[in-house]
Amino acid sequence: MRRPLIGMTAYAQQVHYGNNDVMAGMLPMTYVRAVHATGGRAVLITPDDPDIDVLESLDGIVFSGGGDIDPANWGAERHPETDIDAARDASELMLMRAVLDLDLPVLGVCRGMQLMAVADGGSLHQHLPDLIGHERHQAAAGTDPLAADASAYGRHDVVIEPGSRAGDLLGGHLVVNSFHHQAVDDPGKFTAVGWCPDDRVVEVIEGPNHTFAMGVQWHPERTADLRVFAALVEAAAIRSGLAEAKVETGAESAA
Amino acid sequence: MRPIIGITSYVVPATWGVWHDLPTALIPNDYVAAVEQAGGRAVIIPPDGRDPDVLRVLDGLLLAGGPDVEPVRYGAEPEPLTETRADRDAGEFPLVRRALELDLPILGVCRGMQVLAVAAGGTLHQHLPDVLGHERHRPAPGIYGEHEARFEGGSMIAKLMGDDVGVHCYHHQGVADPGTLTVTGRAEDGLAEAVEDPDRRFVLGVQWHPEVVRDRRLFGALVEAAS
Repeated sequence: MRRPLIGMTAYAQQVHYGNNDVMAGMLPMTYVRAVHATGGRAVLITPDDPDIDVLESLDGIVFSGGGDIDPANWGAERHPETDIDAARDASELMLMRAVLDLDLPVLGVCRGMQLMAVADGGSLHQHLPDLIGHERHQAAAGTDPLAADASAYGRHDVVIEPGSRAGDLLGGHLVVNSFHHQAVDDPGKFTAVGWCPDDRVVEVIEGPNHTFAMGVQWHPERTADLRVFAALVEAAAIRSGLAEAKVETGAESAA
Repeated sequence: MRPIIGITSYVVPATWGVWHDLPTALIPNDYVAAVEQAGGRAVIIPPDGRDPDVLRVLDGLLLAGGPDVEPVRYGAEPEPLTETRADRDAGEFPLVRRALELDLPILGVCRGMQVLAVAAGGTLHQHLPDVLGHERHRPAPGIYGEHEARFEGGSMIAKLMGDDVGVHCYHHQGVADPGTLTVTGRAEDGLAEAVEDPDRRFVLGVQWHPEVVRDRRLFGALVEAAS
């Protein structure tokens, strides 16, 4: 049986490697490995030429982390700390709306979760420190907030609504790694089902009427806990007829 | 719907914004832009040696430039200046072999041409200055060598290139034996600059970098063959 093909939105970014300084289509390998480790096959979707035709070949999709979403997309003025990526916004919002219409299994990570909310009528907080008065969603206490080492990511608790899809998958409590300064304010047509208990920042959203539509504000791809990737890949496999749904109590079974 | 062209990718420690030396799958945007300007939809294929199943959704394959091919793949010992990436080879060779079986259109650029030659049973020169006695194919770090190639009359590449035969090169290895492919273009020093497989729909390797000028002649031919 072939592996489900999972599209992953890529950065188009000026990047330095070796002696090269080039504009590149790129994505950290942590994302790619998370999909491969959970049984999928990753391809990277570049933002350069907005169109949704590529979705026909995919079994599922991950909207990856990255820069801020332009607040014009939910009718707000830009905050001084907001640093947008207009090319990715245009391409990814178009893809996201089509993905939700097609009910393609989707996982949003960090910026990707925020895109889910904005694409479906929601809005974001543009700069969390203004709202909650601390930077624990960007860096661990006492570390440089711009440190790129994963160990310096802000670590905090998340509590999850019992009975939600995320609750069934992740349990009622976990500790996560964060690196963001924006956050979901209004989740639009999605349901917020997970929060940071210290400041009520939304950490998980899901679409109860979708096959699989979940967004997480943290970075599971940089941890050993890949359950949300495994759930995406499984949903993609079932939807494309590559695997059979497990029969769960009370849940409908789709062969 | 546009034909989907899969572009094989580098994995390198990359630095941008606040991030330093993160292992990253990437491809210079010139390749993506060249495919899109020619009417294709580019997707980037990170290396993965498990299986070549991703070809199922591709209409064409673009083998990008990159590090040297592992000499063991053509029965040679590595020479001192040969720099390889085993993960890239492990991902790319199964893709190429299956793509050839499927007769999927393939364009190989620089390393991509060398991968095509090795997959066809050929061999590489591991360091051209040792063989040719000059460095005109890679004059200095980050500087493309510019020269004119000569193409075999009647070949696909001759028809595509027409009268404008100037090319941009940046490589220190080259095709020594093209295996079952045919050499259809050479530099003034005799080095193979283009290879083709006349028995397949579209299998073309070029030693130069047509993506830096987004050469519609070559990328257009790939997209057309993939349509």
